Amino acid sequence: MKIKDTEIISLMQDPRTQEKGVRALMDAYQSRLYWHIRRIIVDGDLAQDTLQETFIKAYQNFHQFKNDSQLYTWLYRIATNEALQQLNKLKRMQKTDEDPDYHMQNLVADNAGSDAEEIQILLQKAIQSLPEKQKLVFMMRYYDDLPYEEISRIVDMSVGTLKTNYHYAKQKIEDYIKENYEDNF
Amino acid sequence: MKKFDIEKLERRNIYKAPDDLFENLQARVLSGVNDFDLEKLERKNIYTVSENVFEDIQNHVVNKVLPRRKAPVFKINWAYAAAASLALIFGATFVFNTGGSPDETDPAVAYTVKNQQPKTESQVAYETLKSDLTSVENDHQNTEKPKNNKSVAQNKPQAKTDQEAADQSSKTVSKQDDAQMNDYLDSFSNSEISELASNSTQDVYLDLYN
Repeated sequence: MKIKDTEIISLMQDPRTQEKGVRALMDAYQSRLYWHIRRIIVDGDLAQDTLQETFIKAYQNFHQFKNDSQLYTWLYRIATNEALQQLNKLKRMQKTDEDPDYHMQNLVADNAGSDAEEIQILLQKAIQSLPEKQKLVFMMRYYDDLPYEEISRIVDMSVGTLKTNYHYAKQKIEDYIKENYEDNF
Repeated sequence: MKKFDIEKLERRNIYKAPDDLFENLQARVLSGVNDFDLEKLERKNIYTVSENVFEDIQNHVVNKVLPRRKAPVFKINWAYAAAASLALIFGATFVFNTGGSPDETDPAVAYTVKNQQPKTESQVAYETLKSDLTSVENDHQNTEKPKNNKSVAQNKPQAKTDQEAADQSSKTVSKQDDAQMNDYLDSFSNSEISELASNSTQDVYLDLYN
């Protein structure tokens, strides 16, 4: 049975039921947040650590959560910030002569399952070639189907800018796939 | 045909080909890309995840953020605690005073136990003689008591005076006997006392049975 956000919030606010609340919160959102983080970071172990940190920060700052926003919006915001921080750390650790985007595209190929389709791998590589904000907007809209209003709260951008970013992101991805698809076949 | 000039031959293809050959060929070549619609692509994850990843993360987060459960604290009822303390104190005192072995209360035995030295022949003889004499004295008193009891049963007012007189006489007799016995014992050597002690044991039993 799917537990409602209001129940999770009330469980989290009561010290006697906090453990139940944390578990309910994670049961409800861990999968969605994990894949959101994984698509940004690509590396599995790092994504796992980042998800962990996301929930720890959510618990520690739960008193700051305002009921006027949705719980998943608040969690997505924390997860996105954590993932970007980790990604920047990862890029700083790379060799200076190596292009970070190129490194991420290689990471996609390394982490892809053996049964992954070529077009899907190309899509992920195309996403990694996008600028940071376009990448975030595209992933939240394309994979998580979040409304622009919610994405606006998560990434602090206007809805108009988001729509423009999504349009450009989509265009770039399609171009990338066309180009690389012709090369391959 | 004597003269054949190939240059004058009409240059045409004898093979038949579909009219829309090149249109379809071009479409087929570009079909993989031109028909590509990102919106129609299945949205799935290509990365693999270990089986218990979410369970592990959840347990780790819960262990990290939530304080460990404290051991249950019982409230103390001070009345019961005070009663229990008093009972313990009195109990310990009682055990301390009465629980010791009888050997510890007897200084003579305690001394021998402590020193663990073998007794000399004279000491053994003296102790045997003393115990025998004490038993004779007690036997003498026991034989006199039934007589007194009889008189008590017959005549109560006189019984008190008779018993008092008997007690006084027995006390004086026992004191005199002690003095005489001491003088008598002083006159013996240690070897004689030990010999006497061994005989006196037999005498006492002979007296009793006679």
